[in-house]
Amino acid sequence: MIARPWRLAHPRTAFIAMAIFLAVFPPLLTLIGGDVTLASRIVILALFGLGVDLIFGFTGLLSFGQAAFFGTGGFVAGYLLLHSVPNTLAALAVGTLAAALCGAVIGALSLRQVGVYFAMLTLAFGELFYFLDNSPLRGVTGGEGGLTDIPRPSLWLGFTTIDCASTTATYTFIAVTYFLAYLLMRRIIASPFGRILRAILENPERAAASGHATLRYKLIAFTIAAAYAGLAGGLFGSFQGSLSPDVFSLDISGEIIVVTVIGGAGTLIGPLVGSFVWVYLQHALQTVGPIAGIWKLLLGVIFVLLITGFRRGIVGGFTALLRSRRKRAAQA
Amino acid sequence: MDFHLIAAQLLNGVALGAILALVALGLTIVFGLLGFVNFAHGAIFTCGAYGGWVVYTKTGSFVIAIAAALATAFVIGVVIERLLIRMFYNRPPEDQILVTFGLAIVLVELVRALFTGQTQLLPTPSWGQGIVNVGGIFYPQYRLEVVGIVAVTLAAIYIIIYRTKIGLIVRAGIDDPLVVNLLGIDVKRTFLLVFAMGAALAGLAGIIDSPMLAVNPDMGTEVLAQSFVVIVIGGVGSFGGAIVGGLIAGELVSLTTLFAPDYSQVFLYVAMALVLILRPKGLFGVEGRA
Repeated sequence: MIARPWRLAHPRTAFIAMAIFLAVFPPLLTLIGGDVTLASRIVILALFGLGVDLIFGFTGLLSFGQAAFFGTGGFVAGYLLLHSVPNTLAALAVGTLAAALCGAVIGALSLRQVGVYFAMLTLAFGELFYFLDNSPLRGVTGGEGGLTDIPRPSLWLGFTTIDCASTTATYTFIAVTYFLAYLLMRRIIASPFGRILRAILENPERAAASGHATLRYKLIAFTIAAAYAGLAGGLFGSFQGSLSPDVFSLDISGEIIVVTVIGGAGTLIGPLVGSFVWVYLQHALQTVGPIAGIWKLLLGVIFVLLITGFRRGIVGGFTALLRSRRKRAAQA
Repeated sequence: MDFHLIAAQLLNGVALGAILALVALGLTIVFGLLGFVNFAHGAIFTCGAYGGWVVYTKTGSFVIAIAAALATAFVIGVVIERLLIRMFYNRPPEDQILVTFGLAIVLVELVRALFTGQTQLLPTPSWGQGIVNVGGIFYPQYRLEVVGIVAVTLAAIYIIIYRTKIGLIVRAGIDDPLVVNLLGIDVKRTFLLVFAMGAALAGLAGIIDSPMLAVNPDMGTEVLAQSFVVIVIGGVGSFGGAIVGGLIAGELVSLTTLFAPDYSQVFLYVAMALVLILRPKGLFGVEGRA
């Protein structure tokens, strides 16, 4: 397996850089033809990708069923917001927990297998969720129509309630959530637990032989990734105001893998970069008449080329370039 | 419940199972012999169906359409093996999955760009339009013919792999490529042949399934997921497992459609989870490659 660049910047540097980036991201995006809504979509996808990076980039588990957790988090939170819980934070928390629970169950079943088998199983379980949502549960989930009129985020903080009526307020809420989730994920990666995950990535047999209960570690990582997917799904529903059953589809599971790998798996900011490339290209190409339909074809080709020749994605390739230049400068 | 209805659904299950077995066999042969899982298999199924559909609209002959579907899928198999897959035989399974998944996106989007996303209908061929009386049940002739086509194909593939010299070379090339090379046989060409043959099976399944389904760019997705279920149930890399697994999956879907339509797809995946818990290697699974 190719060693991945997992060395992270100093926590304070990352903290400040990320905060500044998230603050200036919408105006920057506006300069190149985007808007704050597009920024929200990019950041939600990046949040989803953080979990995928944990299990794939740092642990080596390639799951094709992440849409199951994205959808579960989205539909549970959306249903609660529509029917009983006006508090966005509470609804998101329950949705996230529900997704984590599903992740624990599916993980326990799928992680008994590795590599190809694991990928096939997660894909099949993802399809199971899609069909569950569409048929037996359609009374609750709205079937083909999905959920509509999901309220925008409204935060009850005990003393005051903040209503995210504007798109900017919604972006702020999403960006703050992403920021906290990003810091937490850095913490997880840097912890002893994260080190064991990397040991599993580099050599599963050696990690097991060193006395680590690798299956348990993988299961915990898988559950955390499911929770991140669920949180992203909940935010997505509230941001978009509706949810179609397509959030459970294989397209979503594939999309988040492509996003993570294009950006660079095992880098933590890779999913953010990949998400920008994916969402922005889609948006930009759709305004260019004749080639509007082929944005996905183009991204597919880029993806295949990256896998073939540039395995670490955009961020990984960039850091490798920087490192080699620095080394050359040191030698000179 | 009406006996005739159940019997007809049982037959439907066999027809669906035959298609699934054909798709799964293509996957499992490539996996069993090359150790490579092709996530673009569903996309090749779609390409085969479109290749056949285009030729059918031009010629009006379903037999030529079948040949066109086989040829389309075979050529796609040859091209992607030569250009890409070959570089991935020695890379980790995750890279193999990612590159074939990316290829699937490219192929499906190419189809969409060329033929739009619209659903196309392919009529049942003239030689399959009748209704046959099977022991008192009136049943569409075409579905029985599908079962026949699949049975003949499976037998042919079995003979090629296990009873001919070409098959012997293929199996030897997988066991010990170095020695086979030393004997003056081009192993790379053998791998190419196996990969393209797997692809051709997907293309064949795509065209004969089309009159029962509908032709659209996304038709391969569900088939790919279902054939994963089939090989998990039957055992990855097992020839017999693909056939038995296909039939089990086909019957599960058809019979639950009758008794609990809402759960027809759900049950398939539940069955897979059960097999996984009770017998992780699948019904006919073998350790490692077949």
